[in-house]
Amino acid sequence: MHGYALVQHIKRTSDDLLQIDEGSLYPALQRLLKEELVEAEWGISSTNRRVRTYRLTPAGIKHLNQEVSNFERMLEGVTRVLARGEA
Amino acid sequence: MNWIKRLLGRRRLYTDLSQEIREHLSEKIEDLVASGMSREEATHAARREFGNATLIEERGREVWQWLSMESLIADIRYALRMLRKNPAFTVVAILTLALGIGANTAIFSVVNAVLLRPLPYQDSDRLVVVLHYGVAPVSPGNFLDWQRQNHVFTAMGAAEYWTPNLTGIDEPERVWALHISSDILPLLGVQPLLGRMFLKEEEQKGRDHEVILSYGAWQKRFGGSAGVIGRPMTLDGERYVVVGVMPRDFKFAPFWATKAELWAPLALGDRAADRGGNSLRIFARLKPGITLEQARSEMSGINSRLEKEYPGTSRDYVVLPLKERVVGDIRPALLVLLGAVCFVLLIACANVAHMMLARSAVRQREVAVRTALGAGRGRIIRQLLTESLLLTLAGAGAGLLLALWGIHVLVALSPAGIPRVQTVSIDANVLVFMFVVSVLTGLGFGLVPALRSSAVSLNDSLKEGGRGSIEGARGQRLRGLLMASEFAMAVILLVGAGLMIRSFIALQSIDPGFDPDHVLTLVVSVTGSQSADATSKAAFYGQVLEQVRALPGVQSAGVINHLPLAGDLWDRTFAIEGRAAPRPGEAPDAIYRVVWPGYFHAMNIPILRGRDIARSDGMNSPGVVVVNDALARQFWPGQDAIGKRFALTGSLPNAPWLTVVGITKDVIEKDWAHPPDPEMYLPYLQLSEADQAFLHYLTLVVRTAGEPTSVLPEIRSQILRLNQDATISQVDTMPAVIREATAQPRFYLLLLGAFAAIALTLAAVGIYGVMSYSVSRRTHEIGIRMALGAKAPDVLKLVTRQDMLLALWGAMAGIVFALALARGMSSLLYGVHSDDPLTILGVVLVLAIVGLAATYIPARRATKVDPMVALRYE
Repeated sequence: MHGYALVQHIKRTSDDLLQIDEGSLYPALQRLLKEELVEAEWGISSTNRRVRTYRLTPAGIKHLNQEVSNFERMLEGVTRVLARGEA
Repeated sequence: MNWIKRLLGRRRLYTDLSQEIREHLSEKIEDLVASGMSREEATHAARREFGNATLIEERGREVWQWLSMESLIADIRYALRMLRKNPAFTVVAILTLALGIGANTAIFSVVNAVLLRPLPYQDSDRLVVVLHYGVAPVSPGNFLDWQRQNHVFTAMGAAEYWTPNLTGIDEPERVWALHISSDILPLLGVQPLLGRMFLKEEEQKGRDHEVILSYGAWQKRFGGSAGVIGRPMTLDGERYVVVGVMPRDFKFAPFWATKAELWAPLALGDRAADRGGNSLRIFARLKPGITLEQARSEMSGINSRLEKEYPGTSRDYVVLPLKERVVGDIRPALLVLLGAVCFVLLIACANVAHMMLARSAVRQREVAVRTALGAGRGRIIRQLLTESLLLTLAGAGAGLLLALWGIHVLVALSPAGIPRVQTVSIDANVLVFMFVVSVLTGLGFGLVPALRSSAVSLNDSLKEGGRGSIEGARGQRLRGLLMASEFAMAVILLVGAGLMIRSFIALQSIDPGFDPDHVLTLVVSVTGSQSADATSKAAFYGQVLEQVRALPGVQSAGVINHLPLAGDLWDRTFAIEGRAAPRPGEAPDAIYRVVWPGYFHAMNIPILRGRDIARSDGMNSPGVVVVNDALARQFWPGQDAIGKRFALTGSLPNAPWLTVVGITKDVIEKDWAHPPDPEMYLPYLQLSEADQAFLHYLTLVVRTAGEPTSVLPEIRSQILRLNQDATISQVDTMPAVIREATAQPRFYLLLLGAFAAIALTLAAVGIYGVMSYSVSRRTHEIGIRMALGAKAPDVLKLVTRQDMLLALWGAMAGIVFALALARGMSSLLYGVHSDDPLTILGVVLVLAIVGLAATYIPARRATKVDPMVALRYE
């Protein structure tokens, strides 16, 4: 997926709940590139534009899974704390 | 090797990133257009939502960079470009800084070599000297008692001045030397380069005919030959054997007799019990763990016991750290100079800060644009500081060259009596000092302008659209503060220089008591030659005098034991006829001079009353003495001293009575500014044989009709014809001797004056710059005022009033500081008080003139402004 599509994707799937500064995406992508968690490639998009698409590397997938599970655990913790608070 | 690949592929990464961002924006715009916006609206909306593209691109790039390093390089590149674009600014700033940093480096390198570096002995901070009143020598009896009785020193040794005649070579020569006890070299912790040190048993008479050579003497007299050990030397007619050579950087003694080129054992012989003849300087090393205080209290304990046993012999001895004795006298002067150059640097800083401030006003728009493009405040401050640090580094580089040259000049001009000045150099200490000073300087003049110009309000600066902004009140205040402090510092330096000038004038107007012009002096010695016995020695000097007087071009000639100012100073105690014997240690004493008839005439010293010493005052006539006015007044106040009698004490018992036959005018004795002490002149021909034998040399004083040195070759050949083993040394002229005696104050005056002149110039340039700047900024305003009818004087008043007021405040603050600081230099002053009102008045006048001139030129320009031009200005 390329940068603009990524932004649109986030906006769409979160129903505009997550607003991100479009620009701030790029330094983040550069960091991921540097850590070799993603790789980038110039290509042609479905709308016939020249775009740079990003794909997760195996290391990236591993890292993503780890981050997701970390996040889920944290979220779970937060949910439980909030639930107890209500009770 | 990943990072190399990255480094090489970096450009690629950056283009990818910026293309990507551009594609992103255009895709977004297309989307928005597709949703029904106009293209223009869509472009704005896309940019708004995206954020600052340049900034984001930069952040993206930074991910790949060694951030600090690379932006530093970028900053430096940018700074260099800015500096190149303003060559006038750059050159003036660098020169100003080079002056400040260079002067500081030069003076600090002197301070470093003279005050800070340890003496060239092992653990030199554990070495002490014992001296009477901290300056004068000690008797052998005391020395030996201290050596035996103390428990605080690992070793204690003595040194005695010695100037033997070196004969048996082509041109006999008087050389500088020392007799040292065998403890001296071990306690200094310096090993000989060749051979050995002295042995304890060589302190006995008859075994003491060994010498250790300095490196210089080894090179000069033996060509640096390795086989020098065991070679003979004839000193004072006796055969000595070389037993050692000291290393190249070894010097002893460090504070007196510094020219000593060889050392022989100190054999006290029958002088061991002498408590009257003070001729030894005592050196000692503190035992580990013993403090200076403990050593002092132990020594005063020993001395109070000795004082009971031998009354009047053991008071007022001072234990001093050796280094204190070596550099103590010079420290205040050097610190004053260091302080002075610090002020020069501060003024230079203030000047450059002015220039930076003025420039930062011009560069306000540049800063605003950069801020608009996404530069953070920290980033801009860093950029501006990089510029000022670059300037300082360039200034420091130029300053280093200046310092190298300055050190060269300083060492060449430095008067005798500044210890270790030959070792002044730029070493690691100096470089570190210079680096720290430079960085502080760069921060000092760069920080405030950087902080100020980075705090611009974006909107205002951009809105002004090219018109130079009217500066805010804060900028004005800052500039005013800088100017006032520059003035204050210039006042401080000028007061310092002014006091030196006044004191120098006072020194110049001192009457030496004799007429120095056209007087040649030389030291003649025949010790150790065939005519060393008393009768032939007296005959020799008599003949020398006679023949020299007969030379064409010679008006008169005389002989004295020790020349005023240049020569040694011996003290003798005496007993006045008819007065009760004084308590021990309180006998009257006076400076002991021995002359031949004709000395006073040759030196043009007036006889105030009575008569000169005559040829008839010989061995078979009653003893006579001529005294100086000070002696007559001190010992016979309100009476006529002529005809009174006294006898020397402390040498032979039953010394003959000497009748005072004449009173001379007081003559400068040793230190130029020292008030005259009592002084007596005895005829050489009436001295006892023992007293004559003590005089190893005499000084010939020749008054010539023309250039004094022109008769020197004739005199030399006459003397050598009379005795081929005679040595001639210390050839000098009296004017040169006087110059030498006043060389130190002249040197300080020169330096302080130079620094003050630099300071004044910098301050004037600074004021001129500030004034021109504010006039040019206010051209528009002035034009309006003139168009509305303001006259030239009104405008003049308008533009100068504020700055003159500031200058006044600065000058007043400067006077307050100067009064406080000048007290620190009172030890350098003569005949003028550190709060001398005349000096301060003079300084204020000078500054007022300079300040007015520097203000007036730009202010005049303001009044010449054509209102029409001014209104159209910019």
